Amino acid sequence: MSRLYATFKYTVIAIWACFVAGPFMWAMTTSFKDANGVQGGATYIPWLQYKPTVTGWHNIFGGAGGVDVVHPFVNSAVITVAASAISLVLGSLAAYGLSRYRFKAGFIKNSDIVFFFVSQRIMPPVVLVVPFFYLLQSVNLLDSIPGLVIVTVALLLPIAVWVMVDFFNGIPREIDEMAMLDGCSPFEAFVRAILPNSLPGLTVAAMFCAVFGWNDFFFAFRLTFTEVQTLPQAVVALNSSIPPWWTLSAAALFGISPLVLLAVWVERYLSKGNLSGAVR
Amino acid sequence: MHNLSRQGLIAAAAVAALAAAGCAGGGQVEQKPDKPALFQPGSAIGYQKYGKDYPATTVKDVPGPCSYESISRKDYSGQTLKIITHAVPVIGEPTKLHAKQFEELTGAKVEVVNVPFGELHQKILTPLQAGQPAYDVMFYPSLWIGDMAPYLAPVPKEYLDTPGMKDVTKAFMGVATWNGTVVQYPVDGDRHYLKIRTDVLKDPKQQAAYKAATGRDLEVPKTWAEYAQVASFFTGKDFDGDGKPNFGSAEVTKRDDLMFSAFISRAAPYVKNPGVKGGVFFDVETMQPLINTPGFVRALDDMVKAKSAWPPGGANFGLGDEIFSFGGGQTLMSYSWDDAFIQAQQPDSRVRNKVEAAPLPGSDEVYNRTTKAWDKTPNQAPYFTWGWTSAVAKTARNQKMAFDYLCFFSNEANTALDLTIGRFGVNPYRNSHFDAAFWEKQGWDKDTAEAYVRTLSDMEKSTNRVFDLRVPGVNEYMSSLANGVAAALAGQKAPQQALDDVAREWTDITGQIGKDKVQAAYRNVVALEDNS
Amino acid sequence: MDGLRRHKSMFLLPGLLTLVLIIIFPLLFTIRVSFSGWNVSNPQMDFVGGANYVKMLHDSRFWASILRLGLLAGGTVLIQYVIGFGVALLVWRDLRGRRFWRVLFLIPMMTTPVVMAAIWQTIFHESLGPVNDLLGRLGLSPVHWLTGSGPALAALMTVEVWQWTPFMFLLLLAGLLSLPKEPFMAAAIDGAGVWRTFRKVTFPLMAPVSVSAIIIRLIEASKLSDSVYVLTSGGPGSSTESPGYYLYIRGLKEQQTGYGGALSLTYLVLMIVTLTVVAALLAKAFKVKGNA
Repeated sequence: MSRLYATFKYTVIAIWACFVAGPFMWAMTTSFKDANGVQGGATYIPWLQYKPTVTGWHNIFGGAGGVDVVHPFVNSAVITVAASAISLVLGSLAAYGLSRYRFKAGFIKNSDIVFFFVSQRIMPPVVLVVPFFYLLQSVNLLDSIPGLVIVTVALLLPIAVWVMVDFFNGIPREIDEMAMLDGCSPFEAFVRAILPNSLPGLTVAAMFCAVFGWNDFFFAFRLTFTEVQTLPQAVVALNSSIPPWWTLSAAALFGISPLVLLAVWVERYLSKGNLSGAVR
Repeated sequence: MHNLSRQGLIAAAAVAALAAAGCAGGGQVEQKPDKPALFQPGSAIGYQKYGKDYPATTVKDVPGPCSYESISRKDYSGQTLKIITHAVPVIGEPTKLHAKQFEELTGAKVEVVNVPFGELHQKILTPLQAGQPAYDVMFYPSLWIGDMAPYLAPVPKEYLDTPGMKDVTKAFMGVATWNGTVVQYPVDGDRHYLKIRTDVLKDPKQQAAYKAATGRDLEVPKTWAEYAQVASFFTGKDFDGDGKPNFGSAEVTKRDDLMFSAFISRAAPYVKNPGVKGGVFFDVETMQPLINTPGFVRALDDMVKAKSAWPPGGANFGLGDEIFSFGGGQTLMSYSWDDAFIQAQQPDSRVRNKVEAAPLPGSDEVYNRTTKAWDKTPNQAPYFTWGWTSAVAKTARNQKMAFDYLCFFSNEANTALDLTIGRFGVNPYRNSHFDAAFWEKQGWDKDTAEAYVRTLSDMEKSTNRVFDLRVPGVNEYMSSLANGVAAALAGQKAPQQALDDVAREWTDITGQIGKDKVQAAYRNVVALEDNS
Repeated sequence: MDGLRRHKSMFLLPGLLTLVLIIIFPLLFTIRVSFSGWNVSNPQMDFVGGANYVKMLHDSRFWASILRLGLLAGGTVLIQYVIGFGVALLVWRDLRGRRFWRVLFLIPMMTTPVVMAAIWQTIFHESLGPVNDLLGRLGLSPVHWLTGSGPALAALMTVEVWQWTPFMFLLLLAGLLSLPKEPFMAAAIDGAGVWRTFRKVTFPLMAPVSVSAIIIRLIEASKLSDSVYVLTSGGPGSSTESPGYYLYIRGLKEQQTGYGGALSLTYLVLMIVTLTVVAALLAKAFKVKGNA
């Protein structure tokens, strides 16, 4: 029975792993092809089935037929970090408030405020982009990093609030009460007693913020012109009417790399088991 | 109403600010004295130093106002030129390459942004309409002229008088002109024509088999009916002996890609009657849509039937897929832009010198919308589909620098090199480009080169041509058309039904945009069609 | 009391005000623009009354896309939940190399959807892609992944499942890892088997996380657009159009800002209502099962 179960378990994991890794493997092998390698039909093994070249990789690092990915990489990093940080700070404050105090204004209650935050994610991005354009134009922030940070905060704040409200709800109130008995103000209690216990929640929230911030193409694309380019834009700039599959694949793999590190980091927290209550 | 007045104010302020900036910029340029040239007249120009995948060929710098020598005398140091262009490589790569060269020659800083086709229109037009000086130079498909024209700076006389510009063919000067003013700077010429595998066509075995099966000689199809017959005969056969089945026809069919152009190619000979003037898409006098008339319906019928000769996935092919399919040897025929042919003729191509260019298939009869009957005369109607064009925004900070860039982009040396690189998307648009010897020098067979040049230059002479619907809101019209064609191809609607729906939508769109506006624009198109 | 009110607002207001400030103008703009004829050649805030809304009522493509979203979002999220939960259970406890598996299974959600869709397009390419090639090697005939309406929907759902199952997986795994040990020990003492333990202990304990994860995924999945755009551009015909993609075509590609605004607002209201109902139903369903 248990032997059977183990076989079953590893088989399922292997199948799922193939499915998850498949696109990356395909992108990896495609990134070493050229037009001839692509045109003849699907091939997988370099040297044996096609003649490998490094054109694709060369193209994303300053090669003639490609795009520069290094600058956009830096821009993406700056925007993601800044917007995530702002969202986490504002988001945890708001979430803590919503978790610990009762708000009431007419028929609006706590749960409605939480819903207001979360509902911002329901809004289709198409609605927002034209008005955002005029909004940023009026304050002269089009095609600028601060402008994109502002817009990205609007996308990330709801996520931060959503994760952190659930998380704070899971932390016993006795902890803040004890801190306040010790003479802390509510704000000090939050900073000294709650935040240190909230690292797992903050980790999850930070990861979601980073993922959604890093991968935003829609807004960054439409609110910038020539000066600020983010990484997804740089990669999409390769999606031409004659798409260079090889360069596209190389750029896609390059763009994933920092987030793989993030995955490793998040997994460490998972393994230690102290994401307890981060999601509930 | 509040909004309107506020917008007015902003716009006024923006205009004032821009005018001021323009003056300052212009003044600066005049003050800077010419610097010594970096190039001697007639020096050899090549791209090798920019990358080893560029051809080793060099050409001579042709003296003139746009030459390497002349441009290198200008000093634009300390100034920035902002350019938006298509994704890499098609037109995007030459934009960047020439931007880099322009920087080296003039000291200017050039910023280039590359944008996929589907996003380009919106990305250019939104800032233009908002009065935001986002881009100085814009590369875009020439059929958008109706939407862009109000925001474009006319090409100044000194550039219209350059030898390069004087050499642009009549058709492509027409494409660049809006209400009598040249507002687009020609950098590319495009049309649809037929591409076919000559190695198969000339193979006696295939000829015999075809004759046995159909009773006809195997030759380049002259009508869409013949095209269908040839395509279906070769579908499923392994004519290149690589062990995989081959197919008859690769066409651009992806709905929100460039499918509308493929459909217009198929419709052209049925709908463009040399005896009937005054519009193919609309009756220009009444602005009644003609898109559901029998000619278009027959073309759609043809296209639905043609599906069986397409390779797997052929109903969702973008231009790139079509190029990969034909260029990779999978299909016997295809019809679309020059890019596909030049790509097939690249030195490393599998089908190099096994392909030939020919005019788009015609028809045995053509619909006459005045008599409401089919005229039983053979008909040909070349389709000048859109190609890449460029323009300078009225809001450009330094228009002279912007035009100098375009003039440099399209100088004789650069163009000669660009023409030979298939992925660049730069195709013949000057009379001097129709020269078979030039293509033979690139390693093309004499037959291939001559057929290519003949196909292209014959289109210039035709008086029975089809152009794109170059009117404001063209994207909405084409999106509606593509949706109707896609519905018919997917079997969701019968062709007549699908096109009736399109016609209804077109009437609505015309109403929204304004009948007078569309009509005025369409008159220009009609003049091009009738080559009058 | 005054002090409390100050503290309350000090926590909540910075975040709330920031969001309101950023969002209020776009929202008002959209409401206003939906009553205007703003389009590509006439970018003006004129007033056309409810014309856009009337037009929308007759727009069968829009309504069809909304119905289709039920399948696309509902179906994919359900699959994601089942697979995500299953895989999370497998890598939850003793497993060789489990940290490696966990990292690997997280990665897809880290990738940029619009970029990965382009890679998937090459994978499903009917002539040049590996899927049909591998099917051919198994002696199966090629599938019209992007040109048949059934397979195209399957291809789209595959991409969505690939990209976002990790999201479910992460939330559910984190939930599993934070479960208390006692109920499991109690079940073991009772001699409950694997299946019984799951049904009586694990699943009920996971109910709150499950509801939360499903709702948030439904919200995100309902915006499905990038993969449609890249893979099928809504085809064949209009059989894979999602509301997000249709809004994009009307609002941005054709720049019918006025009409796009009307569609968007309607969509927004519909989604808020639907999701609220679904959330209530889910909470109820999971609780009922939990008690049984």
